[in-house]
Order: sequence, then C-alpha cells, then structure tokens
Amino acid sequence: MNAPNPHVLDPTKKPGSIVGFGTMTTFIIAALFVIALIMIEFSPLKMIQVPGQVAEVLSFFWPVDMAYGWDNVLPAIIESIQIAWIGTIIAAILSLPLALLGARTLFPRIARIVKFISATARAFPEILLAIYFVPIVGLGPFAGALAIGISSVGMLTKLGAEVVESIDFGTVEAVEATGGSRIMALRYAVVPQVLPEIIAHWLFRFELNIRASAVLGVVGAGGVGGVLLNTLRYRHFEKAAAVLILTIIVVLLIDMISGEIRRKIIKG
Amino acid sequence: MNAAGNTTLPTKPPRNWWLWAIVLGFLTAMTVWSGYGIGFSANELVCNIAGGSRLLEESWPPDFSFLPRLIDPFMETVYIAIVGTVVGGILSIPVAVLAARNLSPDKVTWFLDRNFMNILRTLPDLFWAMLFATAVGFGPVAGALALSVFTVAVISKLWSESLESIDMGLPEAVRSAGGSWLQMIQFSAIPQAMQHYVSYALYAFELNIRASLVLGLVGAGGIGMILETQRANFEYERVTLIILAVLVAVLIIEQISETIRRRLT
Amino acid sequence: MSDDSQQNATPASGQGGAIRFEKANIVYPNGVVGMKDLDLEIKPGEFVVIVGSSGAGKSTLLRAVNGLNQLTSGTISIDGREVPKSGKGLRELRKRVAMIFQDFRLVKRLSVMTNVLVGRLGHVSGLRSMLNWWPQSEKAIAIDALERVGIVEKAWVRASDLSGGQQQRVGIARALAQQPAIILADEPVASLDPVTTHQIMDDLVRINRDLGITTIVNLHFLDLAREYGQRIIGLRFGELVYDGDAKTVTDEDFRNIYGREVTEDDVLDDEVVAEG
Repeated sequence: MNAPNPHVLDPTKKPGSIVGFGTMTTFIIAALFVIALIMIEFSPLKMIQVPGQVAEVLSFFWPVDMAYGWDNVLPAIIESIQIAWIGTIIAAILSLPLALLGARTLFPRIARIVKFISATARAFPEILLAIYFVPIVGLGPFAGALAIGISSVGMLTKLGAEVVESIDFGTVEAVEATGGSRIMALRYAVVPQVLPEIIAHWLFRFELNIRASAVLGVVGAGGVGGVLLNTLRYRHFEKAAAVLILTIIVVLLIDMISGEIRRKIIKG
Repeated sequence: MNAAGNTTLPTKPPRNWWLWAIVLGFLTAMTVWSGYGIGFSANELVCNIAGGSRLLEESWPPDFSFLPRLIDPFMETVYIAIVGTVVGGILSIPVAVLAARNLSPDKVTWFLDRNFMNILRTLPDLFWAMLFATAVGFGPVAGALALSVFTVAVISKLWSESLESIDMGLPEAVRSAGGSWLQMIQFSAIPQAMQHYVSYALYAFELNIRASLVLGLVGAGGIGMILETQRANFEYERVTLIILAVLVAVLIIEQISETIRRRLT
Repeated sequence: MSDDSQQNATPASGQGGAIRFEKANIVYPNGVVGMKDLDLEIKPGEFVVIVGSSGAGKSTLLRAVNGLNQLTSGTISIDGREVPKSGKGLRELRKRVAMIFQDFRLVKRLSVMTNVLVGRLGHVSGLRSMLNWWPQSEKAIAIDALERVGIVEKAWVRASDLSGGQQQRVGIARALAQQPAIILADEPVASLDPVTTHQIMDDLVRINRDLGITTIVNLHFLDLAREYGQRIIGLRFGELVYDGDAKTVTDEDFRNIYGREVTEDDVLDDEVVAEG
C-alpha cells in the first residue's frame, strides 16, 4: 500500500528477515484500515452509493444563486476576514514578547515555561476555544476573534522563538560589551535580525486564520461558516454553491497577495 | 544632519515615506475597520468577565463520571482519522505527482492539477464535513470522506514540493532506457521521495485526529457530536471533561506519531 | 572639523586605561584552564599584542577585561577599580572598554550609522535609544568615528552590503564611538585578506597613537605582532611565558611561546602585501 519498500528505499540496508519492516507496516496499516472501515459502518454497499449521492447534491448546485452571494455571503466572508485580522493582530502583539522570552539562547529558564504554555495553547483547536468565549462575550464575531487570537499565540510564539534562537548570538554579546543592557541588546541586535521572518510568520498565520474563522460560525462565533451550515441544513444548494465559490475565490486571492508580500519581506 | 559640518558625509537617503505611510495607513485602517466590524469592545470584555468567571465555575471540576461514555465516540474519532488518512493518502499520490513540475507529463495536466490542488486547500475541513454530511447523511462516513479530501490537500501540496527537488538523473535514465512514464514514476521518482511521503502522511494523521474532534459539531461523527450536545445543553462540566480528555489523547497520539516519524526519517 | 573631532573622540586626559591582573585564574566548567596565576600590568596608552597558539588563552584574557569571562580567583582592576561581576557597575565599566571582534558582530540589516550608534547606547536615555532617536551630539560622535576609519561615505549603507574589511572598520568605529579608555581587539584581522589586514592594523595603531587609547590586540601572525606591537605578551596554556619589547623579540622566543618550530602558517604572506 503506501508504506515504503525498504529495498528500494535504502539499498545499503542489509537483507534481514523475510518479512521486512515495510511489508509489516503495510500489513498493519491495512488491517487497521479494514477494522476502521467496519467500525464506522462504511460497507461496500455504502461505498457504491457515495459517488451517486455526492453527484446528486452537486447537481443541485446549479444554477448558483449569485444574488444571494452578493447580498448575504459576501458580508459574511468579510466578517470572517475581519475576525481573522483582529485575531492575528491580537496574536502578533502577544506573541512578540513571548517569542523573545521563549528563546533558549536569551532566557534559558523562562524559555521552558513559555514553551510549555505555548505547546498547550497550540493543542486547542480554535473552535473549542470559541465554545468558551461565546458564553463570555456573547454570540458573534468578537468571540471568534478572541478564540483565533488566543489559539494563534501558541504557534506564533513557538515559531518566533525558533527564529530568535537561530540568529547570530555574537551581536547580542557585542551590544552588551558596549555597556548596553539586555533590553537594548534585544532592541538593536535581536529585533532587527528576526523581525522580517517573524512578520512573514504573522502573514502565514493570517492565511491559516482566514480558514479557521470561516468555520467558527458553526458554534455561533460569526463569519461565513454559519451561512454555509444554514444553507445546507435547509438544502438551499444553489445558495450553498455561492458560499463555496466566493470563499474559494477570496481565500485564493488573499493567499496570493499574502504569499507575495511574504516573499518580498524575506528577500528585502 | 550635517552636524559635524564635514563634506564627506553623504546626505541621508530619504526614507520612502510614501511607502511607509501607505503601509501604516493600511494596517491602521484595516484594524479599525475590522475591530468595528466585529464589534470589538474592551468594555464588553471587562463587563462580561463576571459572566466568564461564572462560566469557569460551572466548568469546574470536570464531570469525571461522564468519562466512560466518551470511549466509544473517541474510538470513532480515531477510526475516522485512520480511514481519512489512508484513503486521502492513496489519492494524494497521483495528485502530487501530476503537480510536480519535473514529473508531470505535460504543461496542461500540470496546470490543471496544480489549480485543483490549490482549490482543495482553500476550503477548511469543516466545510467538507458539512458538504459530505449533507450528501451521505450525518455520521462517521461523512467525516471520513471529509478528512480524505482534507488529507489529499495537505499531503499533495507538501509532497509535490519534495518531488520537485528529487535528483532527476535516475528518472531520466529510466526514460532513455525505454521505460514508460509510469515506470519512471514508480521505480525512480517515488522511491527517492518515499521518506518524505511517510513523514507527511503521519503529519496528516495528526492533523486529522485534531480535526476529527470537531467534525461532530456539524454532524460528521466522532467525539465532537457528544461535545455539541453537551454544549447545547450548557453542561459545561462535561464540556471541560471532553476537551481535557481530547487534549490528553491528542498529545499522546502526536507523541507516538512523532516517535515513528523520527524512526523512519 | 579636525578640532571638533579631536574633542569628540579623544578620551579626556586623565581618563586612564591602566589594567592590572593580580593572581588571576580562570577555570572553565569543563575543567579547561583558561588563565593561570596571571600577574600583568598594562599602562595607559600602551599598544600590546598578545600571541600564542590557539587555545593558549588569548581570548580568555581579553574577555576577562570587560567581564565577558569571569575570573575564578584573583582580581582584575582598571584604573585601580576592580572589574565588577555583573549589574550596573559592569555596564558602567563596559562603556569605557570597547571591543572589536574577529567576526565583526555587526547587525547586518541595520545601516552602518546605526551600528556605530550602538557604541553610544550607554550614553543616552532608555526611551531615546528604544525609539532610535539620537541627539545631534551623539550622531556627531558617530560620524567622527566613521571619519577616523575613513568610511564615512558608507554611513547610510546597510552593513550587509560592505566588504569584510569595511565591516571591520565599522566595528572599529563602533568601538571609537564609545570614547573608550581601552580597546580590546580579539583577532581583528583573522577573517581578512592580507591587504585589508594591514589597513586595519594601521588604523588600530594610528588610533592608539592619536588618541592614546590603551589597545590590546590578539594576533596569531608573528610577523604582524613584530611589525605592529610595542609590547608583546606570549601566552601558553593560560600562562604568561613572554613579556617584552616587540623590537627585541627573537624567533627563539616565539618557539618558546608556541612550544614548537615556527612555520609558514604562523606568518602572513608578505609578497601579497608588497603587491597590494
């Protein structure tokens, strides 16, 4: 199946047992796969039905209700973008100092604590955080932005700390050797070296956050996800099609622009 | 600037003030507009801290008596992730090969496949889950299908980049020795990037475990369905338990996957 | 201009620059001895070259002077004041002791000007330095420092766009901007080609002569040590094994310092220099 054949992979490996590691892995994965198929009741009969069912739903997608798209979907997508933007800004502001504190080379002791906290924060999908924020600040996009912000802090802190750890530490020593304090060394030696890469990470996270904010509507935290859920629930497929098409276009556009800016920043 | 009054110091090149003004203006405008749009208010946040602390009180301690009822749905989550990863993993192979510039048979195929791949990537996992739940009915099958698509999006993007960086010497040799395109891919291109493939597949599995937790929110099976009912009934002690259990499980699975990945690569 | 600069960069008379090691020892955590029972006195305004094979403790000695390496026992004092171990006292001391590094240690993304102004960090308020908002007087000091090493025309260029020799000149300018009593140069020419090496060494000697700043230079090329040093100090396994005038140092002395025959690797190729 999809496991590697060790003989092709690594010709230097000595020929060992008859059943190689790759064959065994393949067998285990195949067995797990079959068990999983049975357990979720994905029977062969069902497998035959699926393509037809999908095709049927797809056939209802036409004609796309673009009027609904412009009037109802676009505002919801814009709200998703706004949620992602505010979430990213919150995360960027919080993660910058945390990334510096999380760098082993600068603050060996604090870094451990910061890394542990950021790992925990990363483990939460933003939608679970939104479940907690909705009762606190009420249904709506504000809860979504907070959830996105908090859950992004973890990843941005981790990536940022890695950037800081990768820099030339000698310049920090050089600043301190002139009688500058640790804070001045951060300002003049660390920040100028790491900022471009860190900003590129912010932009990348913004791209991810657009997708994340699109689904938050499912738990009532604003954005386009709620619209899709409703149109599908009431089987307004031509409206759902408008949601999908507009989402794809907008996300592609933002990916393109953001990707271009990221490349410019890293090069400059 | 010429405080020292010397002649050799060149004048400071003017900063590109226009660019700075535009960038700064854009950032500010975007933030104000977005903040206004989503109803950002520090006031509201502070006022509702009371409600928030009540919520936290209600969510603590987690209701551990609920734990046994989580086992079945959690296993379902794992099954969904396995099916999604395997199906998506297999389907991603042709998608990735055709999207690799050096391996694709012609420009048109490459162009079409690459855009297909990018479009798959734009839609979040829960969108696929909603679509499949509508098409094949609520339940784990919808979740598995959604994760299959999601997996194709993840693996094919990453792996096509690995394939583009392989050494083309051997594949070209296979071709010039009279091998077919398929033989070239199968015997010389794929083996070179196999380790990357395994690593990405495991990564996709981790993402799928995480994603399959929330699929239930839109009726696509797994532990998320229980989470959704308990949340709707404001049983926050149970919600907390579910989330904690899920976090622990995710961390364990990620650890296992990480270990395998390190052994294989 | 020249009067102005003289005022700017010359350390005020009586600023000193005397260094005194007394029974100084450094043992690294891994057990390696970096400095052994060192007794040494360097007078204000001296130009001292330290030689020794790699691992002989040349860097250790230099870095002990500004507290980058801590003594395990004994004392170092500058102008009669012991070098503090940490805190504000150490920062105050470092303002007067500048350092030049083998690998330049400039922040490559910043302009030459900003890199030189780093040498003034100890002299401006925290807020101003955080905002990169420098008083004219500080900028004048930085420009003067750049003029002394002859690259003032590169003031607004990014450090990464300079050649190695130019980058080291910025390193020297940063040191000068501190208006130091002492300059420590740790293998300042080890990453440079022979022609640039001589230019940088000439700069260091001229600055020492014009401004009277005590200068200690680590070198591993013997001919350079002989050519530029006034006083040569030889180290071997952290111990002082030679201390004398550069004019009278013999090949025998070098053999003694290195504990082996002196080879071609220990001298800079002079032919190249002659051509340059």
